[in-house]
Amino acid sequence: MSSPAAPPAPAAAASGVRVQGLSASYGAAAIALRDVTFAAAGGQAVAVLGPNGGGKTTLFRVLLGELPAATGSAAVRGTIAYVPQTERSRLDFPVSALDVTLMGAYARTPWYRRVAARDRALGRAALDRVGLADSSGTRFGALSGGQRQRVLIARALVQDAGVLLLDEPFAGVDRTSEEAILSILDELRAEGRVLLIATHDVEQARRWDRVLCLAGTQIAYGPPADTLTNAVLEGTYGAEIVMLDCGHRAVAIQHHSHSH
Amino acid sequence: MRTVFDKLAVVRWLTDPLAIPFMQRALLATLLLAVAAGLLGTWVVLRRLAFFAHAAGTATFPGLVVAGPLGIAAPLAALGAGLGFAGLLSRMTRRGATSADAATGLLLTAALALGAILASDVYRSGAGVDRLLFGTLLGLGDGDIALAVAAAAAALLATAALGRTWLATGFDPAGAPALGVRAAHGDRLLLGLLALTVVAVLPAVGALLVSTLLVVPAATARLLTGSLGALLAAAVAIAAAEGVGGLLLAYHLDLPPGPAIAVIGGGVFAIVALGGVVRTAR
Repeated sequence: MSSPAAPPAPAAAASGVRVQGLSASYGAAAIALRDVTFAAAGGQAVAVLGPNGGGKTTLFRVLLGELPAATGSAAVRGTIAYVPQTERSRLDFPVSALDVTLMGAYARTPWYRRVAARDRALGRAALDRVGLADSSGTRFGALSGGQRQRVLIARALVQDAGVLLLDEPFAGVDRTSEEAILSILDELRAEGRVLLIATHDVEQARRWDRVLCLAGTQIAYGPPADTLTNAVLEGTYGAEIVMLDCGHRAVAIQHHSHSH
Repeated sequence: MRTVFDKLAVVRWLTDPLAIPFMQRALLATLLLAVAAGLLGTWVVLRRLAFFAHAAGTATFPGLVVAGPLGIAAPLAALGAGLGFAGLLSRMTRRGATSADAATGLLLTAALALGAILASDVYRSGAGVDRLLFGTLLGLGDGDIALAVAAAAAALLATAALGRTWLATGFDPAGAPALGVRAAHGDRLLLGLLALTVVAVLPAVGALLVSTLLVVPAATARLLTGSLGALLAAAVAIAAAEGVGGLLLAYHLDLPPGPAIAVIGGGVFAIVALGGVVRTAR
């Protein structure tokens, strides 16, 4: 996907996320997430690791400005975009891959206008970047899980996002698509964008520059090699799950020490 | 010779009623309502609001029953009852203990029962109840036509202005706000417009058969096409064709128009659905 006409990403250059002593809750309910402090600069990919209900979605909603911080602060530099799980969207909707991609331009399209020709060109270029130029007219629901995920990434590119929040981007994705998505994310990171990748998969978390472990509160933040210790994983997932996962994890740690 | 005679009979079956002023008025109303209900019905079906739309229509029944005796304009009474329904529904589902469809079913039943009791025991409305529940060809007034014009214009304008918002919100409710789409704002306007359209179609098809124009044509169109533009156009065209067909059937068989349009709509849906099954099977 080396396109010579790849547009520079001006929004990406100065992107960043800085979260300081953040806690947040839904209405009068108990605090859903507390004491989160981390910073990610442009060009960094951060795995946000934790069980369901650990606060990954809550963190994303605060960063998107949809949920206020109860205490502390969350500052985002650059345009922020959310890449949802594809199963959350209505697969029976009458929208093509290009239609979904162009939703990234809705915010800058006045209500009385059609999506601008320039934005349509951007949309086609974004689909080309994620390797789906030939599928632009295909109905979104007829694409594979991995292709749909790539369309949603293209949509974030049309938003010209410097900060991308990806919700389980590898869930329900076949091997080929997983590799395609990984190489796209590597490219986006290399352009100086910030990636926050929510996952509950420890193996997946090891791939990225930093890992943020959340279990209602921040358990740890740092480079995966130093951060993903037994103690941190127990703190994140609880002792029982780590016990069950023990053999698998031991392999992973060995693999890691071999590679260095 | 005989076939020419048959053709003429068919033509006259179609054209004779349209020479009559009240039928011309009914035809005009139906075509206007087809625009409003076809466009909005597409969004109703896409957003899975069909049951809500049906219940909102039924909920207007007690309002219509009391409108005459109390001297309130029927559309206002219907709107009041419909808004009361929406308010109660949102109160009942707020705490999450009652699911939206259970609450909708409960309120629908309650509205129908209340209307029936008011009509039979309090106001003794008699034959008028048929007209309120199933619509009428006769007596569509200037007010009804004006309301149909307003609903058609509002549906056209809103589809142009808010179509993207409704599409993005329906496609992915959780992700829409992050796109800069004003999802909550769009939803409020959609429900408001739905109320207006329900009230506009009431005189023609009645409180019980609002779905014949608001849901059935769009659901049929959904079987035929996968593109939004074609869907909107097909829903309007199907609503218009079924509406006009229903008017003629109602005239010749001396039926209220609501059930006549409903029978045609159900038949067309069944044929299209069967056609789809046959096509996939091949």
